[in-house]
Amino acid sequence: MLLKVDNITVHYGRLAAVRNVSVEVNEGEIVCIVGPNGAGKSTTLLTISGILSPTEGTVTFSDRNITGMNPENVARMGISQVPEGRHVFTSLNVEENLRIGTRMRRDRAEIERDFQMVLEMFPVLGERKRQPAGKLSGGEQQMLVIGRALLTRPRLMTIDEPSLGLAPKIVDRVYEVLTDLRNRIGLTLLIVEQSSERALKAADRIHVLRSGQIQLSGNAADLRDGEKVKQAYFGFTEGVKHEGEVAF
Amino acid sequence: MGYILQVIIDALSLGSLYALAALGIGLLFGVLRLINFAHGDFITLGAYALIVPAYGPNAIRFIADFPAPLLIICTILVIVAIALISEFLIFRPLRYATAATLMVGSFALSFVIQNLIIMIYSGRPKSLNLWSELTEIKFLVGDVEIALLPILIVAVTLILLLLLVLFLKRTPWGVQMRAAAEDFKMARMLGVRANFVISLAFVLSAALAAVVSLLFEAQTGILMFRMGTPLMVFAFIATVIGGMGSLVGSVVGGMTVGIVSSVLQAGLPAEVRGYRDVFVFGLVILILLVRPQGLVLSRAARERV
Repeated sequence: MLLKVDNITVHYGRLAAVRNVSVEVNEGEIVCIVGPNGAGKSTTLLTISGILSPTEGTVTFSDRNITGMNPENVARMGISQVPEGRHVFTSLNVEENLRIGTRMRRDRAEIERDFQMVLEMFPVLGERKRQPAGKLSGGEQQMLVIGRALLTRPRLMTIDEPSLGLAPKIVDRVYEVLTDLRNRIGLTLLIVEQSSERALKAADRIHVLRSGQIQLSGNAADLRDGEKVKQAYFGFTEGVKHEGEVAF
Repeated sequence: MGYILQVIIDALSLGSLYALAALGIGLLFGVLRLINFAHGDFITLGAYALIVPAYGPNAIRFIADFPAPLLIICTILVIVAIALISEFLIFRPLRYATAATLMVGSFALSFVIQNLIIMIYSGRPKSLNLWSELTEIKFLVGDVEIALLPILIVAVTLILLLLLVLFLKRTPWGVQMRAAAEDFKMARMLGVRANFVISLAFVLSAALAAVVSLLFEAQTGILMFRMGTPLMVFAFIATVIGGMGSLVGSVVGGMTVGIVSSVLQAGLPAEVRGYRDVFVFGLVILILLVRPQGLVLSRAARERV
């Protein structure tokens, strides 16, 4: 197992944002965490990355306990996060953004190869190498941060809401890229999404998170019809589940 | 004609000193959100580093007698060391505290430094001539003599600005600093080491403070335990009217404050000249009323708008 989040509880002050959450990711897998706004999805990812520390539980990555490790060392361990809202460095140009994470790598020749790979994958980034990243469109910025994370050559990439604020066509392209990366270079992915449709299609396994707790976990193939996911997502009970006709 | 030229050069040289001091403050604010009120005391210490630590009434020259290149390097090293120790002892434990707490921490550091100076060197002013030939060499322009020092101050400032820009734009460390200044958490998630970037900001800020010490000492020839405080106050004002978090703003603000002070000094009638700072601060209030965000908007601030 590559990543094992074991029973973590995370507090903001006295408020628990996440309670007893466990998530496991195997090498080469795409795992999705879906859940409504405020469910604790981002909190879980930020805890994995070392930005937040859990009050209980442990995070283990590639058999090493990384609970409470600082973010720069977690990044060095091989976990790269694409956080919600993308967080491009707007005052840096596109190439500076892409290369900043390569500073912790020692394999110079490989860096250049990966850089070329990213430019092939996202030609627009190559065309705009010298432009300030703040000038890119939302979709281009999403490509930039995925490329930037890839250039750290992560063993696990975590992505927080890659579809947020993007046109459906661009979201399709993002998921196409992510699935392609898994198939081509065996990238392991942990994706967080609010809308589960695309996530369900791309994922091998999914977890539904609501109110800070895991409601449902399972293989994506078994959950394709969506009924169970819908229940877990909205918290319907057996008796009332058909009353709420919510487009999903 | 000569008189006007002299006013212009004085204005530019005072503006340069303020700009250098403001840059030292701005660099730390950018990365750490720290308004370092001890920056003025770093400047004071740079001047005191030139003499033997002794309580007596006269300054016993020490680093001050070194040849210029060695003198500059030694002063910078002393202040950089003090800044790094301050970072480690005070600002590192406070790293996740609020900006207000950090600022109070810098006030505390400022008091400690001033009182240490009083304990070690005594609180009496001492006189110390540094590079006196710089004020003695004069150019005759028309009917007015212009000293070399203010021209040198402007030149040194321009060179340091250029070096700083090259560092920030062209070197990997500079790019890391810019990234951290814009989005510290994201930079860390990409492997940028927080301790390293913050230490680097302290090193640059301290080196700038040391240069200001030397230029200021060459200009005034006096050592006082609070000599850096007025510089710090004006530099801080410069960063505020320039726009907190923008390095360009720090420079623009420093130049503005320096130029306004000098022009008022030269232009005000003799009987109100003593109240010059009232006019300077009046202008500051006016600028903040019209542009509360500062003259130059930082990228981070622009994002938030």
